[in-house]
Amino acid sequence: MTVYLTERIKAWIEAMGCHICVATPEGVPSVVLGRYAEVRDSGEVAFALAEDEAAVIGPVIAKNPRVAFGISRQGGIRAAYQFKGAGEILRSGDIFNAVVAQAREEKGVDAAAVLLVRLTELYCTKPGYEAGLRLDGMPPEELDAWERQRWKDVPRKRN
Amino acid sequence: MVKFTKEMKDALRVPGKGGSLIYLCTSSRGGNPNIAAMRFVATHMDDKILIADMFLLKTKANIKENPNVAVTICHPLDEGRWWVFRGKAVDIEYGFPRDFDWYGANATDILNEWGNWNKAEPPDEVPPDIVFPKAVQRGVVVVHVEEVYSIEPGHVGEKIL
Repeated sequence: MTVYLTERIKAWIEAMGCHICVATPEGVPSVVLGRYAEVRDSGEVAFALAEDEAAVIGPVIAKNPRVAFGISRQGGIRAAYQFKGAGEILRSGDIFNAVVAQAREEKGVDAAAVLLVRLTELYCTKPGYEAGLRLDGMPPEELDAWERQRWKDVPRKRN
Repeated sequence: MVKFTKEMKDALRVPGKGGSLIYLCTSSRGGNPNIAAMRFVATHMDDKILIADMFLLKTKANIKENPNVAVTICHPLDEGRWWVFRGKAVDIEYGFPRDFDWYGANATDILNEWGNWNKAEPPDEVPPDIVFPKAVQRGVVVVHVEEVYSIEPGHVGEKIL
C-alpha cells in the first residue's frame, strides 16, 4: 500500500532534508544526512547523496535495505514524524539523473548516488501520548485533518 | 578511547542551555532501524551521553535487545555539530540494582542526578503546541560512546574520535 504524505509533510522533508538511519543485519546503526530530498508521487522519497555519504550507507543497504528517517533541523520537533521503508541506491537511470540535476541546482549538492526509499510505515513522534502512533493506515483525508488539528506551519525552502 | 571535546559537551545539552535536539538511532537485533528525536540530553564523564527515558517505545525495546546505538545532532546543524556518536546503550530504569555499572557509570549516581530531569531542566524553550502535557520519566538511557564519525559535507564517514 502506498504511504500517503500530506502537503505539509512533503514541504518539511524537502525544505529541511532528513537524517537517514540504516543498520547492518546484525543491528549496528549508521546515520548520514539527506541534504536534498524529493518526495515522489508513489510514496517514495529520493535523497541525493555525495560519494562519501553513499560510501557510509551503500554497503549497509546492499545487505539490509531497511531505512528509517526523520526530518532534519527544526523538523525534528516541528514535523515530528518517523518514516520507514525499503531503500535502494541508484547510480544511473531517469530518477537518478533528475534528482542529481535538481540537487545540484537547488542546493549545490554534488551527488554521486540517489537513495530511493519506498515508504512502508509512517509514525507520529510528537512527545506525549501520541508518540509512536502509526499513521500510514489513515486515509489521506483523515491524515490531512489529523495534522491540521495539530500543526499548520510550513517552512521555507533552504538554499 | 573516546574523550569528548568541549564543543561536543556544549552541544550535548538541552536546547534551552545552548545544546541541541538530537536523534537517537537504534536497531532491532535483526537490523530494523529506528530514529527518534530527543530533547533531554547531557554528557557524563568524558564518553557517556545521557538521554531521558520519557516517551520511549520502539527505542526502548530495541535497546533491550540490542545495545548498539548512534546519536547525532538534529538541530542546530549549522554550528559545526556534524557528529555521529556510536556506542552501546542501556536504559537505567527505576528498580535497577543501585550498584549497576555501565562502563564506569553508576546507576545510583545517574538516577540521583538525572532521575527527575523535567524538574531540573524544564522544557521552557519548547513552543506550547509541541510541549508535552506531563512528563513521566522512567529512567535514563546511558550511551557509552566508542567512536565518533563526521557527517559534515565533504568529510562524511571520517573518524573524529
